[in-house]
Amino acid sequence: MKRLILATILSVAVAAPAMAGGDWVAPVKDPLTLKECGSCHMAFQPAFLSADAWRKMMSNLANHFGDNAEMAPDKVSAITQYLTANAGGYRRGVSDSKITDTAWFARKHRKVAPEVWTRKDVMSRSNCPACHKQAEQGLYDDD
Amino acid sequence: MSAAPYKPSRWEFQGVRLWHAALLGGFVIAWVTGDEDTYAMHLFAGWWVAAVVTLRLVAALLAPAGSPLALKRPNRNQMLTVSILSTLALTVLAAFSGIAADVAPFLEDPHEALAVMSLWAIGLHVLVAVIVFKGRQWLRRVSAALVVVALGAVPALAADPARDAIVAAYAAQAKQQDAGFSGFSAARGEALYRLRHTVNPEIASCSTCHTDDPTKPGRHAKTGRVIEPVAVSANPKRFVEADKVEERFMRDCKSIFGRVCTATEKGDYLTFLINR
Ligand code: HEC
Ligand code: HEC
Ligand code: HEC
Repeated sequence: MKRLILATILSVAVAAPAMAGGDWVAPVKDPLTLKECGSCHMAFQPAFLSADAWRKMMSNLANHFGDNAEMAPDKVSAITQYLTANAGGYRRGVSDSKITDTAWFARKHRKVAPEVWTRKDVMSRSNCPACHKQAEQGLYDDD
Repeated sequence: MSAAPYKPSRWEFQGVRLWHAALLGGFVIAWVTGDEDTYAMHLFAGWWVAAVVTLRLVAALLAPAGSPLALKRPNRNQMLTVSILSTLALTVLAAFSGIAADVAPFLEDPHEALAVMSLWAIGLHVLVAVIVFKGRQWLRRVSAALVVVALGAVPALAADPARDAIVAAYAAQAKQQDAGFSGFSAARGEALYRLRHTVNPEIASCSTCHTDDPTKPGRHAKTGRVIEPVAVSANPKRFVEADKVEERFMRDCKSIFGRVCTATEKGDYLTFLINR
């Protein structure tokens, strides 16, 4: 409940300016995707990768970046459907499987010192919420 | 000249009853919706309780002396007065602290404490009312019923039917896989939890992500994402969704042991964390 209250206050506090043109990526709304793709890491917004990249990733979940993200086939197809339908076709979407390997990501983070990525509370580039507290709401311009 | 004693109408008594129902209803709803998913309802119930008590206070101030709605009731049993005052005070504090916690989250903990205290106060109030109005005979009957309810409720708090069903399903499977199966063991589960493997050096054991102390929040060893505690004592929402449990067992066993876990291993693991 605490989290919900905080989230409510925060979203009210930031929603207005964010809507007014900040870097707002449409957050994940599909409950199945949130649940299945949001347990090991945050559920990344589909707009960050191209439809091809999502399809490639979803066809091999047993070998998912050194982890095993297998799930029932009906879930796989429902999630693939959602991700590809909302994929980024241009600018953000790059035909690579890792968001953090794209040139776009490197450009946005060129000012982040290398040692920051390995800090104990960050651990990985893919841990967006460690630095962007509202990453899951699609807000990345908070710092 | 002395005024004739006030003769309350039927409606005043009905009003008092209705008010009890409204207050109790609001409280019960607030109590059962105190979860993240039903927060809007919870907030509404909190405002409801606050409003109902405020209305009652206004009615008490307006009511003529001698009415059952009046603030002062000279003939009231003292034990009952104390119980009414403490119940009302705690309920009101619980409601208002909750409303305040909506904007000042640090009040969350005091709010929860007050809510629990008001539940006790309500229970006591019922007890006192029963003693005062209906005497001991009633009390005996009610307390017998309460004992029965409590006997049922205590284990129910610790156990969750969905979780029990999951463990039972693994037990049935284990019996099929192994004729000599004789129940799950928390000790074997703990060994499984801590055992270090070499299949995947980065994630050598279950405790790598779920931490050495399962009552503490863990962290995904590769992504850094925080994982809620896995011990049921620290996180009652654990192991209640069969689908999720089985999916995670499949993945986590394969990544760490390089193979699927047996039903016995799964049951042992759950038994360890349920009793932790
Ligand atoms: C069993 C755990 C697990 C599950 C479930 C899981 N992932 Fe992952 N995912 C990982 C790991 C581990 C990485 C690698 C993270 C790293 O290297 O920092 C990763 C990386 C990723 C990345 C690349 C992140 C980057 O660095 O750019 C994407 C995109 C991704 N996952 C999408 C998904 C989607 C979509 C789903 C749901 C179908 C999903 N993941 C489910 C464990 C998981
Ligand atoms: C180590 C902390 C850290 C992590 C982890 C991190 N970021 Fe960032 N990010 C930053 C900082 C700091 C900036 C601002 C850089 C600047 O101002 O030049 C930034 C900027 C951005 C921006 C640009 C915001 C704007 O205002 O234009 C986006 C989009 C973004 N990050 C997305 C992501 C995504 C997606 C992830 C996870 C896959 C991620 N970041 C992970 C630190 C981080
Ligand atoms: C790489 C990190 C990691 C390791 C190692 C790991 N887990 Fe998990 N586990 C997770 C994540 C992430 C979740 C899902 C997030 C959550 O439920 O909070 C999870 C959830 C679970 C669940 C479901 C819990 C529930 O409430 O339904 C079970 C069961 C489980 N793990 C068993 C194991 C077992 C058994 C091992 C050791 C063989 C293990 N895990 C090792 C990351 C890990």
